[in-house]
Formats: sequence, structure tokens, C-alpha cells
Amino acid sequence: MEGVEYRAWDPRRSKLGAMVLKKFEIPLKKDSRVLYLGAATGTTVSHVSDIVSEGAVYAVEFSARSMRDFLGLADRRKNIHPILADAGRPESYAHLVGPVDVIFQDVAQPNQAEIAAKNAGLFLKKDGLLMLSIKARSIDTAASPKQVFKNEVKKLEEAFEPKFEILNARELAPYHEDHLGLIAKIKGSE
Amino acid sequence: MKVETWFGTLEISPEGKVLESVLFSKAPLELAERSFTLSEEKTFLPPPGFDFRKASLECGFFESGAEYDSILHELTLRKAKLQVSKALSLDQRIIQAVEALDDINETTNTLSERLFEWYGNHFPETGLTGEALAGFVVKYGNRANVDPEDPFYEKASTSIGAELPMEDEVLIKAFAESLFSLYARRGQLEAYIRESMETRAPNLTMLAGPMLGARLLSIAGGLPQLAKFPSSTVQVIGANKALFKHLRERAPSPKHGIIFSHPLINTSPWWQRGKIARALSAKLSLAARMDLYSGEKSPVLLEKLDAKVGQIRALHPNPPAKKPDSGSGKSPGKRSGKGSGKVSDAKGHVQRSGKGHNKGPGIENEKEPEKRPENGNSMKGRGR
Repeated sequence: MEGVEYRAWDPRRSKLGAMVLKKFEIPLKKDSRVLYLGAATGTTVSHVSDIVSEGAVYAVEFSARSMRDFLGLADRRKNIHPILADAGRPESYAHLVGPVDVIFQDVAQPNQAEIAAKNAGLFLKKDGLLMLSIKARSIDTAASPKQVFKNEVKKLEEAFEPKFEILNARELAPYHEDHLGLIAKIKGSE
Repeated sequence: MKVETWFGTLEISPEGKVLESVLFSKAPLELAERSFTLSEEKTFLPPPGFDFRKASLECGFFESGAEYDSILHELTLRKAKLQVSKALSLDQRIIQAVEALDDINETTNTLSERLFEWYGNHFPETGLTGEALAGFVVKYGNRANVDPEDPFYEKASTSIGAELPMEDEVLIKAFAESLFSLYARRGQLEAYIRESMETRAPNLTMLAGPMLGARLLSIAGGLPQLAKFPSSTVQVIGANKALFKHLRERAPSPKHGIIFSHPLINTSPWWQRGKIARALSAKLSLAARMDLYSGEKSPVLLEKLDAKVGQIRALHPNPPAKKPDSGSGKSPGKRSGKGSGKVSDAKGHVQRSGKGHNKGPGIENEKEPEKRPENGNSMKGRGR
């Protein structure tokens, strides 16, 4: 055995890292199974993979270019399951994933509330949690971020099935401008 | 009920008990291939909440959760690798080529200015620039080497330039060689783009020319993406700064993005440009859709565009009478057109190809006028 490895976690590159510093209660445990939507090149995924050392991360990414960079990392870390697919079509990876404790979503898409609902409906356990980062600029470039956040929260709470109950929501400034981080559970669940 | 999972087909009771199971091999490659089919079919999805990982352990297919995870890891990794290696499309290759071309244009501009200054110390009378100058320096180096037969011989023998020491000559010649070979690469890339665009997007190429067409592809990210854009987006692609300024603040909307480099727009007087840009972008997005879905070249598009442009020109022969608040309408689009080095380079190429294109419609008009109704109909059909 060698010494313990410490890794730097840059909150400016990682929404989850910023959420840690903004004092969100991060619901990741050693044996959590996590569905990570919008893995990109895997910076944050690698940290999640560290935390859930006995669990698993299903990392969904749509861009083949990002996936190319991500695969080296996924190769080394046995608890990462890379999935090259559109997070808006979760049926295409339903045969791989199964129930998860946490969905972390960082997709920067205009329909991200819908994406969250679709995935939560298929995969999120009754007592599972959704962690979401909303980028105002990718939903409406012209409207004020505050208004966009309000609309998006409303969409999460009412527009799709399942509906969510927001447990905590804070802006991720100064680490990410015009981003809202939030944690939610499925409405009516315990 | 029947459930498809990555490791096998299960028959489960409403409570989630496994009644029957047909399991596959544990070989990652076979699993990956099967996973592709399942992703396509999207049938017999596991019901929400059904923990098939647990179920697989219960029916004894995997000895432990660790084995399950490890084989799933092999599968997903294998599958993702296959997908990544299949992902390189012709669009991607065209995009790389056109971006490489832009890089080369930028570099050759910088280097040729340097060569001009540098060699100008020794022989300022050449009057050559760019590729011609690079070729000259590669050929002769020191002006003393200019061949008596060469038209530059006279100038070389009376030049006011400073002497060029041997070691400087070696340097400057090697520098010019590098530049010269970059120009050669540029020609190669242009030929490649012209050919690929003709194959991939014949209609877009016919209307926009290969270089502008390829740049539109590049910014959209591929032909499928470009075909999905509304034509108002095509009109302002590349004018991001002006567009967002318009959306956020009270700036006027940009009239054209990179399509400004199209000869129909940049050779027209300013009061017609916005109108022509709209007509052009409408036809460009139709062209992109035809290229994506049918792939057949249809000269009708070009006829209609020319008719429309002719109409615009006839209707607006003179600048608007009111004192034009033209600064507002004109500047954002124009700035975007000239803003980056890339775009102004685009202008040069498209203009060149554009000359051919302007001749084109007349010839094609005569050849295939009967195609018009047929294509018009099929386009409508696709629109739905």
C-alpha cells in the first residue's frame, strides 16, 4: 500500500464541486449508484467515481468527441460505465442502467427539465434524489437569469411526470455565472 | 411480463420476481452487439423500480455484484469505443478540412507579411507579395542569382536593396519554402473541400459555393444540424456577437452572418443586402434539406433564387428616400462579416467560385426547365 492520494477539485470547472462549496448536502455515499447525465470529458465524473467507491456511475454523454477523451478515464476506473447516448432518449439505455440513488444532470439543454423528468421516471428510486445544474444562458439568452430559474423550477414542479419537490436551490456564483444548482426529490416520496 | 436487460431476457411477475430467464454469453463483444440492438428497439424496457442487478444475482447468473459491475463495465466500454470509432462522418471530415484551411489562411497571411518585410530589405523592387513572392525567393534567394532571361533581371541588377549575406540567404530561403508549401497545402485542401461538398451537399454547393457551404456546415456541426436550422438562423450564422447584442439589448438585428461573403450579397448595394440575405438563406436551408433527404441536385432552387433576387433588385433600384438610419442597420451585419480574419478570407474564395456560379443558372435554366413542378412538389412533401 502506498500513501493516500489527494486530488484537487476545481469548483470553477465542476458544478458539483461548486455545489459542495455552496454548502449543499451532497447525497452521495460509498455504495451509491449514480446516473450522471452530461459527462463531457469526465472531470466531475472522476470525483463522483472516487466518492462512490463501492457503487457505480452510469455516465451518459451525447458527443462522440467528448466521449473520446472520456474513454481513457472510464477505462481506468472500473466503477464508471460510459454510455454514448442522448439523455433525452433514456429508453435507449434502459436495458443497461436500472434503479439509481442519485441522478446528477448537467446537460445545458433548453429542455433539461423534461430530460430530468424522463430519466427520473425510468431510473430514480423512490427515495432517490435529483441533482441538477441549470444554465440560464442555454435556456434563454435574452431573459433575465432569475426569471429563467423561476420558470425552470416551475417546470420541474409541475410540467412533467414525475413531478419534483425542490429541497434546496442556490446559485453557483461566483464559481459559475448564471447557474442554479438544485436538489430535488420525486413529489410525494419519502 | 417480458423484460430485456443487457445480460438476458427475463420473464417477471408483477411483483418483480423472476419466473424465467434466457441469459446471454458473458463475452463483452457479444454483449455489446446485443446492446446495440436493444438500444435500437427500445422494447420490453425494465419497469421503473425493477432492480435487474439484484435479479441477476438471485437467478445466479453472476456470482457477485462485483462481477455484475465488472462485466457491465467491459460491455459499456466496448460499446462506447465502437460508437466513437464509427462516429467520424464525411461531415466531420469536411469540417476538419475547412477549419484547417482557415488556420492555413491565417498563418500564410502572417508569414507572407513577414517575408515581404524581410526580403524587402534586400530586393524591394519585386512588387510581388504572397505566393508569388514566396515562389520567387524559393527560386532565386539572393537577387544576384536572378536569371538574365527573367523579367526581374533588370530590376535585380539595379536594386537599391542591401546585400544579403550567405547565412541570411539560407534562412530566408528556408522560410520562403515553408510558406510556399503552406500555399500548396491550401490548394490541396480547397480541392478536397470542393470535391467533398459536391458529393455531400450538391445543392448547397450550387447556391453557396463550396467554401461558404463548408463553413456553414462547420458552424452548424454537420449537414443534419444545418438542415434543422430555420432559414432565419442560417441568415445570421456567424454573426453571434451582433445577434446576441440584438437579443439582449436594443441593438438592431444583424442582416447577415457569414453568408455576407456570398457575391450576391457583398456585391449588392447596402439597401438590398438584407432582403437578398433573407432570400438567399431561405434557399440555402431548402438546399441543405434537399441534400440531406434526397441528395439530388435541383437547378430549380438556383432559378428561383435568381428570380427572387432579380425581383428585389427591380423593386428597390434606389436607396430609400428617407434619410437612412443606415448606420444602425448596416453596421452590425457588416462588422460580423468583416470581424474575423476567417470570414474575410472566405470572401476571397467565394467570390472566385461565385463567378462560375453566376454564369451557371443561365445554362441550367435552358437545360432543365421541365424539372420545376416536380421538384417543387417533392419539396413541399418534405416540408411536412
